[in-house]
Amino acid sequence: MDQDQAFLPPGLAGEEYRAHVRAWLAAHVPAGFLADQADHQAPDLDACRAWEAAMHRGGLAGITWPQAYGGHGLTLREHLIANQEIGRLALPESVNSLGKELAGPIILAIGSEEQKRRYLPPLLEMREIWCQGFSEPNAGSDLAGLRTRATRDGSVWRVNGRKIWTSGAPNAQRCLLLARTGPIEDRHRGLALFAMRMDAPGVTVRPLRQMDGREHFAEVFIDDVVIEADDALGAPDQGWSAAVRVLAIERATNRMYRAWRFENELHHLVRACRLDATLAALIESGTYHRRLAETVVDIDIIKAYVEPVVERLMAGESIGDRGSLMKLHWSEAHQRFAALALELLEQAPPGAAPEVQAARARFQRLYLAARAETIYAGTTEIQLGIIGDRILGLPRERARGGR
Amino acid sequence: MSATMEHRDGIAAFAETARQAVASCAAKPVRDRASQLAGDGLLGILAPESAGGLDLGLDFAVPVMEAAGAGLLGFPLAETLLLGAAFGATPFGPAIVLGERVATIAWAGRVRTASGRVSGTVGRAPLADQADLLLVATETGAVLVARDAPGVTLQPAIGLDLEAPEHEVVLDAVAPLATLDAARFATLREDALLLRAAEIGGSAQRCLALALEHVSTREQFGRTLVSFQALRHALARQKLAVEHIGAALERHAALAASGAGEARHAARTAYAAATRFGIAAIESALQLHGGMGFTWEVDVHRHLRRARTAEAQGDAAGLHRRLAQDLLTANA
Ligand SMILES: Cc1cc2nc3c(=O)[nH]c(=O)nc-3n(C[C@H](O)[C@H](O)[C@H](O)COP(=O)(O)OP(=O)(O)OC[C@H]3O[C@@H](n4cnc5c(N)ncnc54)[C@H](O)[C@@H]3O)c2cc1C
Repeated sequence: MDQDQAFLPPGLAGEEYRAHVRAWLAAHVPAGFLADQADHQAPDLDACRAWEAAMHRGGLAGITWPQAYGGHGLTLREHLIANQEIGRLALPESVNSLGKELAGPIILAIGSEEQKRRYLPPLLEMREIWCQGFSEPNAGSDLAGLRTRATRDGSVWRVNGRKIWTSGAPNAQRCLLLARTGPIEDRHRGLALFAMRMDAPGVTVRPLRQMDGREHFAEVFIDDVVIEADDALGAPDQGWSAAVRVLAIERATNRMYRAWRFENELHHLVRACRLDATLAALIESGTYHRRLAETVVDIDIIKAYVEPVVERLMAGESIGDRGSLMKLHWSEAHQRFAALALELLEQAPPGAAPEVQAARARFQRLYLAARAETIYAGTTEIQLGIIGDRILGLPRERARGGR
Repeated sequence: MSATMEHRDGIAAFAETARQAVASCAAKPVRDRASQLAGDGLLGILAPESAGGLDLGLDFAVPVMEAAGAGLLGFPLAETLLLGAAFGATPFGPAIVLGERVATIAWAGRVRTASGRVSGTVGRAPLADQADLLLVATETGAVLVARDAPGVTLQPAIGLDLEAPEHEVVLDAVAPLATLDAARFATLREDALLLRAAEIGGSAQRCLALALEHVSTREQFGRTLVSFQALRHALARQKLAVEHIGAALERHAALAASGAGEARHAARTAYAAATRFGIAAIESALQLHGGMGFTWEVDVHRHLRRARTAEAQGDAAGLHRRLAQDLLTANA
């Protein structure tokens, strides 16, 4: 593959674009990156950064963003295509997905022209990794109860508070911060979004150990941190509507490759089982046919939600609460699958081949990590509430004697 | 006092001793845990008196295993209880019961025997790296080998359990110390199912208590979480799971006490129920903790890892297949 292939040729769309993505990935995926291959070695942060920056140059990130901000100016259809192709390979999860998929779209929607030019190129070039500072110790499901306060001090903002479960905070240069500018009683009103620098004096990150052993999420202490006025995103009372948009993205379009990656996991499971006589006999016997087939169906349902989202968004519609349907489904389906994979692979006999042991290790990690999927981006209980209240429109119970 | 009441009091006393012993084990290295548990008279419950044991039935070991589960004991307790009994007539019995030798079992795989020596790869041996003695399955039962015998190599663990990590062990022409015939080894495996059911039950109880405490103290939307019906139902289901396991264990105890042949079957179904309902309860308890449940510091994930390991060590998947096969055979 010659050097030119590292860049996106102009004017590609649809299936031509897919061919480019395939060829690019075939030529550029670094050795050891793929989690379903025997030579897999989990890459470190620097390797992930370099890889994602290369993906951007190759036209596989910032796909729909205007060229003026470092994007490629294509449509969501190409975004979907790239995600399908990326998902098919067991590539490492993005270390800047919060930047590319939550902060970026929000900046494009409510940021000033100057902000777009300032934030977006470094984000795509992986010079700035973003994290999402929404949740607080006392504001998880009840996000509108957050207390981190931003007060105007002359030309700047002064912020005090504490965030928790902030994914990627230990590696981040910027935080998409949701803070309160009005009184706590105002709940949804008087919230503002900021692009807080993580190296600002007064920002302290304390990594938290996750149950899968990783230190990916963290607590972020914010003590009298000065945020310049030009790092405020949108109007001081626009925070909640922007946050709701972030959550809709998080539930519906974030990690659009999910269904295809899930499919890669399913195929990896089956291949790993076939490598081992005991496991091969188990999956051939029919005992697991139903659950394997249900996984195939579950994956198609995710696709059935994702693919039309693209057309709807392109037609100018918003996804709104429907994101809850998909979020609830993929998180539960993926947990079912992870438990199935664990059950199967844990029946591998001692001394199984290295590929089988590697699959065992991958799916043990997946089983643990999947427990978080019904918690983050709105818990299962919250999604069920949204479906009942806002999609089904169930009547609220009225107090007796009330009006 | 009636015989049953005495029996019950005896079991309750074991439960209390076990809770305290497990708690004081937490800060100790594995070897000192052996002495602590032995000193409290907990390692010889099933072993014959000649080996320094108490020669009691499995139902006396149940509360001890529940306490071990609830307290995340990092010790091969089920293995020790079973091996102390199985080798009670040999010099290894007293050494195990007194906590002088740490013993474990490789629950998966079997070795081949040639000219009196065993070779092969076995797995799922909890804390094999800390053990002196290891039981491995053979074509004709099982053999006890010394962990440091020539020809024994340990592989690093890749399992889920953090308290008693599992190892694979490669044996190359290892000379056995003692043997167990097929029938006694089969009994040992069946008994292990019941002990694991109790351990998972203890974990599920503990996780329910943790979840209940969490949602009773945490407020969101201006209310304590426990006031939300969805969470009350989730807790009720966790309780249901705990009760299922408790009822199955008690049914086994009653059948065993009356010498009924069904006791074996009841041990299997108790274990199968513990893996199905107990693990679901633990997963639900984790969910009720929200983000907190995904942290290393909250113990729920440790219970989940253990319970999943107990599910694999007892081959719950294979057991379910055998239960179905029995049903088909009965109606052939
Ligand atoms: C791996 C991981 C990564 C995360 N990354 C980020 C991040 O980058 N940035 C960020 O801001 N946040 C992040 N979060 C936080 C996540 O959004 C919150 O954990 C989530 O919103 C739940 O809040 P909570 O943890 O406070 O749980 P709580 O809200 O306290 O919930 C506890 C339990 O109560 C239930 N519950 C709550 N309210 C109700 C109700 N009304 N009815 C019924 N049941 C209810 C919940 O479903 C849950 O089971 C992350 C979380 C995890 C686990």
